[in-house]
Amino acid sequence: MKTVSKYWSIFQITLINSLAYPGELIGRSLMIIPFMWIFYQLWKVTFAAAGAEVISGLTLRDTLWYLMLAETIELGRPPIARTLSENVKDGSIAYILNKPYDFLWYQFSAAMGETIFRAALNALFGGLTVWTLVGAPNHPQGFWIALPAILGAWILHFCVNAMIGLSAFIVEDVSAFTWIYQKLAFIFGGMLIPLDFYPNWLQAIAKALPFASAIYGPARLFVTPTLELLINVMSLQIVWILVLSFTLAFIYRRGLTQLTVNGG
Amino acid sequence: MPAIQVQNLQKTFQTKRKAAGLGASMKSLFKPEYGSVEAVRSLSFQMESGEVLGFIGPNGAGKSTTIKMLTGILHPSRGAAKVLGFTPWLERQSLAFQIGTVFGQRPQLWYHLPAMDTFILFGKIYELDDAEAKKRIQFLSEAFELQDLLDVPVRKLSLGQRMRCEVAASLLHRPKLILLDEPSIGLDVVAKQNIRDAIRRMNQEEGVGVLLTSHDAGDLEALCKRVIIVNHGQIVYEDKVSSLKRKFLTTKMVEVRYAKEVAKDFSIHGVEILKVGRYGVKLKFDASQTSVDSVLAHLSASGDMADITISDPPLEEVIAKIYEQAKAESVDKQ
Repeated sequence: MKTVSKYWSIFQITLINSLAYPGELIGRSLMIIPFMWIFYQLWKVTFAAAGAEVISGLTLRDTLWYLMLAETIELGRPPIARTLSENVKDGSIAYILNKPYDFLWYQFSAAMGETIFRAALNALFGGLTVWTLVGAPNHPQGFWIALPAILGAWILHFCVNAMIGLSAFIVEDVSAFTWIYQKLAFIFGGMLIPLDFYPNWLQAIAKALPFASAIYGPARLFVTPTLELLINVMSLQIVWILVLSFTLAFIYRRGLTQLTVNGG
Repeated sequence: MPAIQVQNLQKTFQTKRKAAGLGASMKSLFKPEYGSVEAVRSLSFQMESGEVLGFIGPNGAGKSTTIKMLTGILHPSRGAAKVLGFTPWLERQSLAFQIGTVFGQRPQLWYHLPAMDTFILFGKIYELDDAEAKKRIQFLSEAFELQDLLDVPVRKLSLGQRMRCEVAASLLHRPKLILLDEPSIGLDVVAKQNIRDAIRRMNQEEGVGVLLTSHDAGDLEALCKRVIIVNHGQIVYEDKVSSLKRKFLTTKMVEVRYAKEVAKDFSIHGVEILKVGRYGVKLKFDASQTSVDSVLAHLSASGDMADITISDPPLEEVIAKIYEQAKAESVDKQ
């Protein structure tokens, strides 16, 4: 019980800390408004050019709500890889490592604490924008069904980004890896284009990769909240979470023996 | 049982090496060259429980690396260490319940939040009951005079206030040993004194062992009974602070400012005049050869003193002296 309360406290303090500068928090979240407006313009033209109300099972309204949730997941997550790499570079990792908790659970709790308000504000501003442009979502209850998958998506993001961050134990600067990850997530996660619009062969590949479980899955579940899709998305997420969390734990153990703490 | 036992501890870092210029950068891209830096070379020492041990040396001497190995953050390249019976790098979490750490240059308090938030968090992290944590926070806030500081965001505290909070936070879980890495760095005289008083009190009342690294000879004089001086990753001196003072901290510098213009004759036997002005003088003498009393008597007889400062030589000078002696001894042996 004390262990749970330990990580809950870490989550709480990062949550409070994320409110230290509310102006910055709100300002950053407002960025989703122009993003959604641009998406609206692009997809309005695309649907008109195709002369179709529905493309691959999605209407313009579905597409916009899908993209809103995809953006919320992506923009809401904190830059774990960069934070970890900075911790290693400036030596502050020494402080995180010398307390009686599991380092990875500490990082995860802190990351989730940082995520909540950011994601909530992104969803609020993004949701209001999309609502104004195309109307209410077809299945508002889809949000609650997609919620566990959104949580799973953040766990996946955490695993991959923590792995990238931990590579700072060896290479110190990880910005190239975060850049590559972000671009792969854009393409294979369905951040700009729902994976349903891809050719079948590319869809099959993309949907099997962890990027899809981290973005496409929960966003699609939101617009199409069926039991079948829920089982599909969640089971794939669980497989990826298991694979990636074990890999992460392994890399962490190896990384610790390589650690060079800078400064002083 | 000793609090710390270290035997032949070594840490070697691999670092990339590259000459200046574009050509060398390109070469390093395809064929990187690595060199090794011996941060700690075969270190052996022991510290008793409840002892206050000074662990000093110049920058890059290997002090912080040693502390990081003793807290389990770094794995040594070779050698063995036991801290409170634990092997730090293998039992880091179990050890963390028993020790506290303060790294003067790396704050552990949450910068944007009041220190109280960090105290409560640490209470949870160290698995204290809420009532117990509350009682302990109350006690520490009195011992370190933090009553008015705990509700202020840490970023708004002065360095001295923040450092008092840092040390108090590291004592929240009643550790048996605290490792203080330059806790007085950047502090003014009063803040240093406050920190030293609080550390001394915790050592005397709770029997907390203290391993202290510092560049300030005052910290050692005020707190430590024994001192270890390291340089280039090895021990160059290990003795009681009283012996260190007797042997090396004998040089005193005196600076006097007079209320009125004074004659320039300050020649005293055994005293070196560093600077003379119309209203003052700066001089240096060996207190083991010339008594402080006689020098002060002479200076006060020269006119009405408006201000006087007596200082010890900087620690770096003392260390340099120790190296010279160590070098001379090794030449003698040869």
